Amino acid sequence: MSKAAPLSDRSRRALLLAPALIFLAVFFVMPLLDNSARSFLTEEGGLTFARYTAFLTDRFYLGVIAETVILSAAVTVISVLIAYPVAYVLVRKAGRLSGLIIFLLIAPLLTSIIMRTFGWQVLFARRGLVNQWLVTDLGLLDAPLRLLNTPGLAIAALVHVLVPFAVLSIASVLQGIDRRLEEGALMLGASRFRTFWEVTLPLTMDGIGTGAILVFMIANGSFVTLVLLGGGFQTLPLLIYQQFNTTRDFALASTMSTILLVIALACLWLQLRLVRRQGV
Amino acid sequence: MTLNRRRFLGTGAAATGLIGLSGLPLRAQNRVLNVTAYGGVWEQAIRDCFVAPFEAKTGATATVSLGGPAQWLAQVEANPENPPLDVLIMTPDLAVLAAEGDLMDDFTVEKLPNLAKIPQEFTDACLGKGTYFDYGVGGITYNTQVVAEPPRSFAAFVDRVAAGEFIASVPSISYGPTTIFFLWALNNALGGDVNNVDPFFAAMEKMKGNLVYWAGPNDFFNHLASGEADLGIYFDGRTWNHVDEGVDWIDFLNPEEGGAMTAVAIQKPKNASDLAWDYLNEVLDAGNQAKFAEILNYGVTNTEVVYSEKLAARVTPLAEANLPPYAEIARVRNDWVDRWNREIGM
Repeated sequence: MSKAAPLSDRSRRALLLAPALIFLAVFFVMPLLDNSARSFLTEEGGLTFARYTAFLTDRFYLGVIAETVILSAAVTVISVLIAYPVAYVLVRKAGRLSGLIIFLLIAPLLTSIIMRTFGWQVLFARRGLVNQWLVTDLGLLDAPLRLLNTPGLAIAALVHVLVPFAVLSIASVLQGIDRRLEEGALMLGASRFRTFWEVTLPLTMDGIGTGAILVFMIANGSFVTLVLLGGGFQTLPLLIYQQFNTTRDFALASTMSTILLVIALACLWLQLRLVRRQGV
Repeated sequence: MTLNRRRFLGTGAAATGLIGLSGLPLRAQNRVLNVTAYGGVWEQAIRDCFVAPFEAKTGATATVSLGGPAQWLAQVEANPENPPLDVLIMTPDLAVLAAEGDLMDDFTVEKLPNLAKIPQEFTDACLGKGTYFDYGVGGITYNTQVVAEPPRSFAAFVDRVAAGEFIASVPSISYGPTTIFFLWALNNALGGDVNNVDPFFAAMEKMKGNLVYWAGPNDFFNHLASGEADLGIYFDGRTWNHVDEGVDWIDFLNPEEGGAMTAVAIQKPKNASDLAWDYLNEVLDAGNQAKFAEILNYGVTNTEVVYSEKLAARVTPLAEANLPPYAEIARVRNDWVDRWNREIGM
């Protein structure tokens, strides 16, 4: 019996990749395709675009799509604006405190998102801690503010959940910048602001882009925070959940989830293009 | 050791075979029943009151799957020839849908001797393919420290909330039973019917400035505990559970028009194990139901159940609750949800 020939490097790589690819194909790609297919099929199994036509020509549903995108974009912009200075301090100024800052950033991620969201309820309820300070302790107000179930608080809670993703993305890129480039700009007479604006910021666009994409994608599919804190937002994930939980219209839920997926992919493509256009 | 293609394929085939075979022992054990339960105290009550006597009498074992009716029904729909669950706990509207879809077995006294002690209307409400075994009533739960004189009727609730006297916490449309125990009940109390829900939406429009919405029962309790709301629409049994946990500032009243009876149905999927009949008979047993009621503070349906003095004072009598027309509601529910989305929001 002849001895089997050893595998080539290429075959070996393919074999090593195979389990992950098979796992993704079976548990990610196939369910996605099955889900999308459901939205194109009639009950008798024929092909139909009726659900998409109905959905995309209804002003209410178009409003829901717009609200989903605008909410995600707003959360992304605010998160990046907050994350950049934090990442800057973390990398450039914190020194020995950087470990503590990273711990403080990551620690909330170890807590259930439901618990964190309930925490917002406790803090901002009519008789919560914040209103107690404002009304009772400081006497600044006569009556408690209604803070829960407002759009601002829902956005703030989403930002609170998602800022760490942006900070870590930006910090990792900031860490890799060659400081001699900034020193060169300063030596050539540029102000600190101009050095930041024309050297540091462009060099960190990759991190900003990565952070923005991460935050946008997660905000785009966010569900628990909006369910618990309300805010009056009507987004696609909430409608999809409703189709499964209340109306059991699985075909409409598939239509919505396919649209949500297309929106996410389109935004991902757009953001990648924008980041690349910056020359990074 | 050199990993060649033949060795790789051989190992892969052996692994696949092992994975496939690993399911065989369980399938071979047809003395295992897979029943369902909601999480938390529900699960423990199901285990103590129904699973334990079933196992003692039959020698079989029952595994308990946690989740919710929409998920369980979807699992059965996906594999009706070999359903992964043998007994389903269902909301009444889903029970009707499952029965109409011919996914469930008929309930008869021959198969379930204890069914004779359950009011026939509850089996009829499931189209003969299931019955109710437990019920709660949706009414007005209030914080006694803030609300000295609660509204005694749905109509008064609407008027006083609209006037700004109270902030009310009401269920959002993302909570499955909302269309029954809130939308239908309030609409019915205000003179509407299944084909006319204008009174409900008019009332919501009047109250909208003074409403907060709860997405799940715990959410409602948080609203009251944190002062976000003064009162709201909630269930009797859950209110009494809070009282038993030491909350001394909460109380419940069944509105004068009568709250909606929010029942829990049980069904057996077609092709599920016949052992399910033994288990279901235990679920309908008076002694087991009495024990279940004591744990959950909800009413049960066996007419021979005698409640303890404490529970008798708490359980809303069936005569004082309204049985919603679940089958009719199931046909218009999606239109109601769509209207809610457009007029009230999620």
